[in-house]
Amino acid sequence: MKRKKIHRLAPATIGVKKIPTISLVPNPHNPRMLFDREPLDTLKASIDKVGILVPLTVYWSKEQGKYIILDGQRRWLCAQELDLKEVPVNQVAEPTLVQNIVTMFQIHRLREDWELMPTALKLEVLMRELSEKNDKKLSELTRLDKAVVVRCKKLLSYPKKYQDLMLHPDPTKRVKADFFIELYAVRNDRMVNKMPWFAKEKFTERMLEKYQTKSGGFKAVTDFRLMKQHITNAVNVKKTSAISRRLEEFTNDDNLSMDHLMIKSADVSSSARKLLINVHRLEADINSIDVEEFYGEEDLWKSLEKLISLIRTKLQAAGRRLDK
Amino acid sequence: MKRPFPRNSAVDENRIAEWLILFSQYTHSVTTGIIERWLQQFTPRDRDIAARVLDCVHFITNEQILSSFKSTLESLPGWDKDEKRRNGKWRFVPFTASSGESGDSMIHRFRRANNLNFKKYNSLFIYKSDLLLENLNKDDTVVFIDDFSGTGEQAETTWNENLQELLPNEPNIYLVLIATSVIGRTRIENFTKLRVSSSVELTDEDNMFSSHCRHFSSHEKNIIIQYCRKANNLEPKGRGNCGFVIVFAHDCPNNSIPILHAYHNRWRGMFRRNY
Repeated sequence: MKRKKIHRLAPATIGVKKIPTISLVPNPHNPRMLFDREPLDTLKASIDKVGILVPLTVYWSKEQGKYIILDGQRRWLCAQELDLKEVPVNQVAEPTLVQNIVTMFQIHRLREDWELMPTALKLEVLMRELSEKNDKKLSELTRLDKAVVVRCKKLLSYPKKYQDLMLHPDPTKRVKADFFIELYAVRNDRMVNKMPWFAKEKFTERMLEKYQTKSGGFKAVTDFRLMKQHITNAVNVKKTSAISRRLEEFTNDDNLSMDHLMIKSADVSSSARKLLINVHRLEADINSIDVEEFYGEEDLWKSLEKLISLIRTKLQAAGRRLDK
Repeated sequence: MKRPFPRNSAVDENRIAEWLILFSQYTHSVTTGIIERWLQQFTPRDRDIAARVLDCVHFITNEQILSSFKSTLESLPGWDKDEKRRNGKWRFVPFTASSGESGDSMIHRFRRANNLNFKKYNSLFIYKSDLLLENLNKDDTVVFIDDFSGTGEQAETTWNENLQELLPNEPNIYLVLIATSVIGRTRIENFTKLRVSSSVELTDEDNMFSSHCRHFSSHEKNIIIQYCRKANNLEPKGRGNCGFVIVFAHDCPNNSIPILHAYHNRWRGMFRRNY
């Protein structure tokens, strides 16, 4: 995206004036209407003392015949509570949909407890209207953390029927965005997609059933990480057909737990690989020890002696020749 | 609420036959055996009250659902099947959406009822997550479709949590239901920009436990609530304390009293819910 284009994303200024408090309405693109009471009370006390020092940013909506607040909804709420008849406003030109969404993103920082799907849908509008898919650029534009942009994009990769599950009116039936984000890694795994029985939608549907009914060995959405790990471990030791069979069985059978996906040898190999990396690190660290400098570090030398003894025991148990 | 048989009327073949005909369309079949087993959950002394509860059930058949959806759409200003004669852009959206839940199945019924089940009308039916991209404005209309709203709480919550964000340009917004309660409709219309349209509207008289419901004495209501507690100790009067006895051919709303629909080891409701 070019700099010029970003510049055009800000609505043009018209001027500062005072307008009746009751003639304003909140911006429907504002991601949340609820504000924490404590900071609101502090702001209210300040406005009560000195008035509104920074004018609210508003635009006149031709379609709705109302002034809409772009920035300053908290000041407006306080003005209402203080029964102020007028508020100072800085009027700007009516923003386009994209301008409005960008402004709202920039003013209202995303909070962790907000549902992610409505944010993702707004990002979808920006991506489409600006033909922009780059995570970094979208992050700069919206001031959303890059990780949040990635999470939103993962949600948008799902068919609309699944996206709607995150907008369910009943919070007890609403599927958390985390479910789809965690499932993403398995659903889009290259090897899983090559498995002959695998069909993306059917698989998603089954995982959803298992998750919603708390059957089939699902405890938390993070179980998908474990699932992905078992798949990767198996693929790394060329047990692709075995893990394919087990994943198919796990998908279809509610009586099987996540342990069913664990192929012992694959799991051992994975642990061995992790251990090997640590051994290499330790080897390099020990090699870099300047004996004279560390001479007085008694605890370190004692630990190393203990380590030698432990290594010796393990090597003997494994039938290794120690004189090598 | 429908008037039940007089007290101490016999639960004979004729009365059971009437229930069987009335409930014949329920999604999980209702048989003589099921009715008898349901009644046996009450002590012999209380069976007369139980039978009278069944008499009162407001059962909405599939035909009534279709006719309700047809007449409701026809009554909405600006709608015409012919796109050229329609005011603005129209979009129909399931209000609830989960695999197998009422919102989706309501859309199918709504399309059938209004002869909109042809491919050429597919673009009229969208998902909630499509709404923002549709960029609907003041001249356009979005119609949410569902079966029932008991208290209006869900509609209000979802409006605040995400719907109004998805409809920033304030198109005309309707919530088309088969049935609602006066309380639910009022709450939705007062606290959201949704306008509710439904053929059946339940009042306080339809609340089994309300003082306005005169078909059961206070003593009888106390007996009913005891069984309701057994069926669902958390919500013995149904969700939102609605105390309704409404049942749709496709499902029983959780705002109806739990002795009708709760289904577990301690209670076998006659109208087991789908979800």
